Amino acid sequence: MRALERHRKLTAIWASETGFKGWFSTVNHNDLGRMFLFTAFFFFIIGGLLAMLIRVQLATPNSAFAGPEIYNQIFTMHGTVMMFLFAIPTFEGLAIYLLPKLLGTRDLAFPRLTAYGFWCYAFGGTMLIVAMLFGIAPDGGWFMYPPLSSAIHSPGINADFWLIGITFVEISAIAAAVEITVSVLKYRAPGMSLEKMPIFAWYALITALMILTGFPPLILGSVLLELERAFGLPFFQADLGGDSLLWQHLFWLFGHPEVYIIFLPAAGVISTVLPVMCRTTLLGYGWIVSAALALAFLSFGLWVHHMFTTGIPHLGLAFFSAASTLVAVPTGVQIFAWIGTMWKGRPELHLPMLHILGFFVTFVIGGLTGVMVAVVPFDWQAHDTAFITAHLHYVLFGGFVFPIFAGIYYWLPHFTGRQQFFRLGELAFALVFVGFHVTFLAMHWVGLLGQRRRISGYTPEDGWSVINLISSVGSFILAIGIAMILIDVLLHIFTARRSCRNPWNATTLEWAMITPAPAYTFASLPLISCRDPLGREPALATALARGEGYLGVPREGLRETLAVDSASGRPEMHVLYPANTRLPIVMSAVTGLFFLSLLLKFYWTVPLALVGVIILAWRWVWSLGLRDDPAMQPVGHDLTLPSAATAERAPGWWGSVFLLTANGTFFGALLFGFAFLWTVAPGWPPPVWFKPSVLEFALGVAGAVIAPLAMRRAIRKNRAGDTPFSNVLIALFGIAVLGITCAALMMRAPAPTSHAYGATLLVLGGYGLFHATVAALMSGFLATQMRLGFTSAKRRAAFPIVALWVKYASITGLIILSAAHLPGMLS
Amino acid sequence: MTELLRILLAPLVWLVSFSAIYGLHGLLCETAEGSFAEFPVQRFVLLAAFLLAIALQITILWVLYQPRFAAPAGLLRFVSRAGGWTGLVATVWTLFPIVALSTCT
Amino acid sequence: MLAGAAAIFGLVMILLVFSFRRNKNSGEEEGQIRVWIIGLGLAFPALVLGALLAYGLVVGERLLPRDGVNLVQVSAQARRWEWRFTYADAPALETTGVLHIPAGRPVDIAITTADVIHSFWVPRLAGKLDAIPGHTNTLRLEADAPGTYQGVSAEFSGAGYDAFAFQVVVHDESDWAAFLQGQPE
Ligand code: HEM
Ligand SMILES: [Cu+2]
Repeated sequence: MRALERHRKLTAIWASETGFKGWFSTVNHNDLGRMFLFTAFFFFIIGGLLAMLIRVQLATPNSAFAGPEIYNQIFTMHGTVMMFLFAIPTFEGLAIYLLPKLLGTRDLAFPRLTAYGFWCYAFGGTMLIVAMLFGIAPDGGWFMYPPLSSAIHSPGINADFWLIGITFVEISAIAAAVEITVSVLKYRAPGMSLEKMPIFAWYALITALMILTGFPPLILGSVLLELERAFGLPFFQADLGGDSLLWQHLFWLFGHPEVYIIFLPAAGVISTVLPVMCRTTLLGYGWIVSAALALAFLSFGLWVHHMFTTGIPHLGLAFFSAASTLVAVPTGVQIFAWIGTMWKGRPELHLPMLHILGFFVTFVIGGLTGVMVAVVPFDWQAHDTAFITAHLHYVLFGGFVFPIFAGIYYWLPHFTGRQQFFRLGELAFALVFVGFHVTFLAMHWVGLLGQRRRISGYTPEDGWSVINLISSVGSFILAIGIAMILIDVLLHIFTARRSCRNPWNATTLEWAMITPAPAYTFASLPLISCRDPLGREPALATALARGEGYLGVPREGLRETLAVDSASGRPEMHVLYPANTRLPIVMSAVTGLFFLSLLLKFYWTVPLALVGVIILAWRWVWSLGLRDDPAMQPVGHDLTLPSAATAERAPGWWGSVFLLTANGTFFGALLFGFAFLWTVAPGWPPPVWFKPSVLEFALGVAGAVIAPLAMRRAIRKNRAGDTPFSNVLIALFGIAVLGITCAALMMRAPAPTSHAYGATLLVLGGYGLFHATVAALMSGFLATQMRLGFTSAKRRAAFPIVALWVKYASITGLIILSAAHLPGMLS
Repeated sequence: MTELLRILLAPLVWLVSFSAIYGLHGLLCETAEGSFAEFPVQRFVLLAAFLLAIALQITILWVLYQPRFAAPAGLLRFVSRAGGWTGLVATVWTLFPIVALSTCT
Repeated sequence: MLAGAAAIFGLVMILLVFSFRRNKNSGEEEGQIRVWIIGLGLAFPALVLGALLAYGLVVGERLLPRDGVNLVQVSAQARRWEWRFTYADAPALETTGVLHIPAGRPVDIAITTADVIHSFWVPRLAGKLDAIPGHTNTLRLEADAPGTYQGVSAEFSGAGYDAFAFQVVVHDESDWAAFLQGQPE
């Protein structure tokens, strides 16, 4: 087969529908990565316009531009849009687009999940923007502290838009994180061991794991606050056994890791682009991986530094002050490894390099002011002033926007197949650089003079007028610069001339293909033996196009790839992807209906939406079922592999593991909240305690013990060739009993609206009931599949997955029942 | 999975002991006022917890250097040991204020 | 702190600029790792940060309230958008928007709130401390000289936040006594 013919055949298999209809049914990472990036930059423009409005308001004293009611919406939306709708989705988009290409495979692990995540993001973001257009946007600041954001002090629907819209968007982030984690661990080119992985993949993996463990506390906080606002469950009301400090803990448990979730992908971009710009390899690969890991962990131990002024004893603050200084060490390791790389090579001042230099200057300053505010007495003065706003922009703009611009200019030829033509980019960079520093150096200064953040006005007597004017002028220079970058990119897309295949002479795999990238990425998959495949074998691209790698023979209508052992990169199974479908967009629309019903308090459509989600999810997994045992599949180079449907640990199992990791973090945060309220909140003990019931407890425990055991037997019997129908039914029964006892707990939770104790028990019971229901549905699904002949001793992949969820529901159920019943029984 | 575990174990243990000791400190200062007969109970409990955390980290690090448990040579071994050192240094660095500062003010 | 930060920043910039020189004698990878990563990346920040941390903790420890002699106790309650102050030495007295304290004596301010979170901040006298529903936070401060000091609430509290300020009037001994007697000066 000739290369061109192979290209045609593969394109026919992998392409999305033509025209704009294709957008709604595509599940291909090429399209979805671009859609993510495009949407994220659309939101960046909105956030930027809001920033301009902020600077207009603050340019002059006693500004009459906007009253506080409007201004509060503006800065809240600016922060919210930038953090949730721009920064995180930009990472997701970049990772979704790049990872399969860097890793030498054809798509991500769960293509439909990618699409579902995108649509959740698009719908959730739209909700927030629509609210803003109607003038009912959230206005409590981007961290939404209760009681200011509680029903009493924010009676309108504004805060609900934040809580519900952001939760919707976070579902998308969790989906993308599961996707990225499994893809990096399992979907790589044959031979690519962890050791030979491109550095960006390490950063993406670490970031994804951080999203999985960092976002759940905020999702929990949002759920609790929304329950308080909608149904009066007083989690954050001090007079009813709640505590507003709980929100601060939950928010910053998310909020600080969030900063590193934003920075790490950018660091990944730098680690990828910088060596190419310097014609060398990265200095200290192992050190950088270790430093990124250390950074990820340490960033989870810093959250209280946002709460230095809340009255925590000094020793408690000291722990976090120490941790906050320590986190600068792995950052230093990365910075100096990069500078060392520059010394090792010969840096050339291409456009991406300019932005990397912009990063160095800006981020180092941001890091230094960050270390300053880690010092407790300094923070007591600087907290909540413009100094903090300036610091956070040095970190976010320096640590994210500059690297992303570098990345965009670096990969633009890959997106478009064209080369830089206009010289607008250099001028734009200069404007952005100068504008940024003028704006925010001035804000440092005025902050030290005592200007608080989030004020909508000041008086001439304050003496801040000139500095603020300078800052505002700077911000307009910055805005013009950014606008020029966007224009430059558009011009490039539409008018620049064609470029050669690997314009930067890079050594990573994404350049071993024609550009713009074909829908199938690689015509055949490479065998990897080192970290710089293109450096060692510059002709790799043509060899792959000629079908000399794995899976070089397109098979009619099948989207094929390989999955590997996660550590060694040894090929392990043969994977078939689902093709284009509208299921993801429909599913996220129904999910959106669920959230919208909650938001607008149309409670009768809530169950409708839930049933819709269940039906769609059922169809989603059902379509993966096989009626016959799949044969071993030859994949080229004399290798035959089993199908993923016959694996003990199929991709779905891996996905479940990481989804449950996020879920477990959510549950852990819930338990933490319970313990926190119990021990710290004023207004305890509650007026009435829950009446424990030995019967309920015993039944629940029995169900929780029987169900996983039955699933275990089911797996064994199935492997031996039996059809373990009855065992799965027993598991279903056990889980149902557990669910009923959790429901009983909910019914009997004492007065949930009059004390946080009862409210927390209600939520705990609800959590148990929800997971029991999910596990029961999955067991029911498995039983149905068995009846209709979709499983066999070989087609066994579904069993361990269901067993995993049953086990999770049982363990959490046990903990929930113990937390509710045992204290009363023991005392 | 074991590869991942070897890398993540020490920092995870740091995270857990750090949060636990922070929580413990909050509880001690919330409940027991002052000290029994001039004996600073709280500080003693915190110190014990601190030493325990350090001992745990040293054990993990030691295990990571045992040929029987260590990761295969190369990047994974390097990163897992770096993780071990991160855990130990982080434990000492972030919790040493227990030794130096007053406990509950 | 600022000077140290500027020095570090300068160092990084110099290293960046010099990386563009054409003829650098870089040596082999091992040595580079030792210089750049272990030396500059690990040891250097660890030393600087260790010192900074120790300094910060010592200062913080010194700011803690000790058993004060001659301690004055007042309460500050915030609500949107007004501070009310009461005085242990004169239970009947309540002032709004103006806190009176004596000079040269340690003052404990018990900070509470009646609605949302606020923060008590008199930049020239002490750092911030939040007023959190259901909790009482105590701030220790001491003003050396009589005079009037500006204070603001420093936690965003909604539409009236801009102008949410107060004053601290520091009295000398006789004025303070007169104030407690209920005679405005
Ligand atoms: C495009 C240039 C930008 C300008 C001129 C700008 C300007 C500002 C200003 C003036 C404020 C706060 C004012 C105040 O509270 O007194 C602010 C707040 C904030 N900005 Fe930006 N910003 C920009 C980009 C970004 C980016 C890229 C991010 C994040 C990735 C970001 C995140 C935030 C956050 C989180 C806040 C705090 C909002 C709050 O207090 O609730 N900004 N920005
Ligand atoms: Cu932070």
